Amino acid sequence: MGIETAVWRALAVFRTLGLVYALAVYLRRYDEYAHPIGGWVVLGLMAGWTAVTAIAYGRPHLRRWPLLAADLAVAMSTVVATRFIDDFDRIEAGAQTLPVVWAATPVLAFAVRGGWPGGVGAACGVGVADLVHRGALTVPTANNIVLLLLAGAVVGYMMSLARRGELALARALAVRAAGRERERLSRDIHDSVLQVLALVGRRGQEAGGEAAEIGRLAADQERALRALVSAAPETVDGELDLRALLSAYATSSVTVSTPATPVVLAAARAREIAAAVGAALANVAAHAGEAARAWVLLEDAGSEVVVSVRDDGNGFDRARLEEARAEGRLGVAASIEGRVRDLGGTAVLDSRPGAGTEVELRVPR
Amino acid sequence: MTRVMVVDDHPMWREGVARDLTEGGFEVVATAGDGGEAVRRAPAARPQVVVLDLQLPVLSGVEVTRRLLAADPAVRVLVLSASGEHADVLEAVKAGATGYLVKSASREELLDAVTRTAQGEAVFTPGLAGLVLGEFRRLSASPTVPAGPAAPRLTDRETEVLRLVAKGLSYKQIAERLVISHRTVQNHVQNTLTKLQLHNRVELVRYAIEQGLDDELS
Repeated sequence: MGIETAVWRALAVFRTLGLVYALAVYLRRYDEYAHPIGGWVVLGLMAGWTAVTAIAYGRPHLRRWPLLAADLAVAMSTVVATRFIDDFDRIEAGAQTLPVVWAATPVLAFAVRGGWPGGVGAACGVGVADLVHRGALTVPTANNIVLLLLAGAVVGYMMSLARRGELALARALAVRAAGRERERLSRDIHDSVLQVLALVGRRGQEAGGEAAEIGRLAADQERALRALVSAAPETVDGELDLRALLSAYATSSVTVSTPATPVVLAAARAREIAAAVGAALANVAAHAGEAARAWVLLEDAGSEVVVSVRDDGNGFDRARLEEARAEGRLGVAASIEGRVRDLGGTAVLDSRPGAGTEVELRVPR
Repeated sequence: MTRVMVVDDHPMWREGVARDLTEGGFEVVATAGDGGEAVRRAPAARPQVVVLDLQLPVLSGVEVTRRLLAADPAVRVLVLSASGEHADVLEAVKAGATGYLVKSASREELLDAVTRTAQGEAVFTPGLAGLVLGEFRRLSASPTVPAGPAAPRLTDRETEVLRLVAKGLSYKQIAERLVISHRTVQNHVQNTLTKLQLHNRVELVRYAIEQGLDDELS
């Protein structure tokens, strides 16, 4: 049973108990009422409404604002009606309203449906009815209104907390189930497909010629498939393991090295860093030369993460780099720097002709 | 001739590696398809180098590493594993494996790695260097246990060398860049492994004492 169903059921129980209490109080003071018949009519209405709401709130598609508004209106009219049924002197002396706590039920219903704003709003409504009933703001009335406001606010707040908790639990369970499935898949794939792909990759590359091309394709597919089955899903609080994102860049010419433990960052931050690394690797592919290889190193330094991207390509000298920067021809490099700066980090570019290029990104957590 | 044992649960892969090694001038003294078989065969076959996959039935590769080294501290374990098994690789290295190679490595890289492992050299891939760097960072960041051993630390030079290994530089390139000898680079790399393995052993003993297992062990 979900939290929603349980709470609405509890509300029906509260309303029924409230009705019994109102009846008990009424019977004890029966003789003092100015219009006892009117009292019975109001109590009959309350009993009928208790039955109607017990059924209606049990149906999710009926738990909407029209029903809640009707609920509040009924409660307010029973409170106001007391003014015309009860003895005037008794009201002046501070007698209880006829429905007593029964009238607080819509406040709880509003709080459950609409959180603390709903609860406070409905409490104001019942509070106004209380004022009309009394005809003046007395100390007991003020006390009642404060209690109603508190009940509305507290129940509303608890309800949103409980809903969030339930949602988080549901998501955690889904993540765990997905993780188990992934593990099972990963085991199966590892035992069969990946081994064969790795073998084809190696034998093909040894054979050379056309077979080497097939071997290279098989090796790339092996890596891609492995990254796919081992990639971690987003964690419950919208965080991501940066290792999973970076490992996806591994190919036959790109090596990705990471720590053994997860490097968890806010999902958006992790994606930005991965995009910057992707841009750096695209730069390698475009400018470092055909045979260039690249290495990505991820380090977790606690307060910041450090990602280095190095290639063994042509490289360039620093004077040319400054020249390009001055002329605004930096293109990809500028986009990497821009991304990292937006994250509050730094990007350092180092290159020498013939010795490749290295970019080091430092991004705070 | 260097005596080698090949352990892998995939028959096709196992035969392929064994054939490459034989053609490359090594003596393949045994092969095994699961962890239990590996531990049972090793004492009779007396390999100098064990080429070991980590995902094995019966006994995990990490456990095999631990038992092989307990039975014969002179044996060298080279992990030949699929990439992407990070935690396993690190555990195997902490248990005493001295090298790691990914299965996508070429035949020449494999032969070279077995030769170097037999000579007692640590075989580091960039991937392993990244794992070891990460582990030292983790150890230095985690709160130290009172009365426990101090977390091992890398010297600045060791960190520098490991980072360069992780960025794909060869020992020769590192030696040139830092203006030190090839041998010194090797020593630095070797030291990082030794520190990690030593710390792991101390931790295991401390754990055994805490759990009251020391009496049973002695």
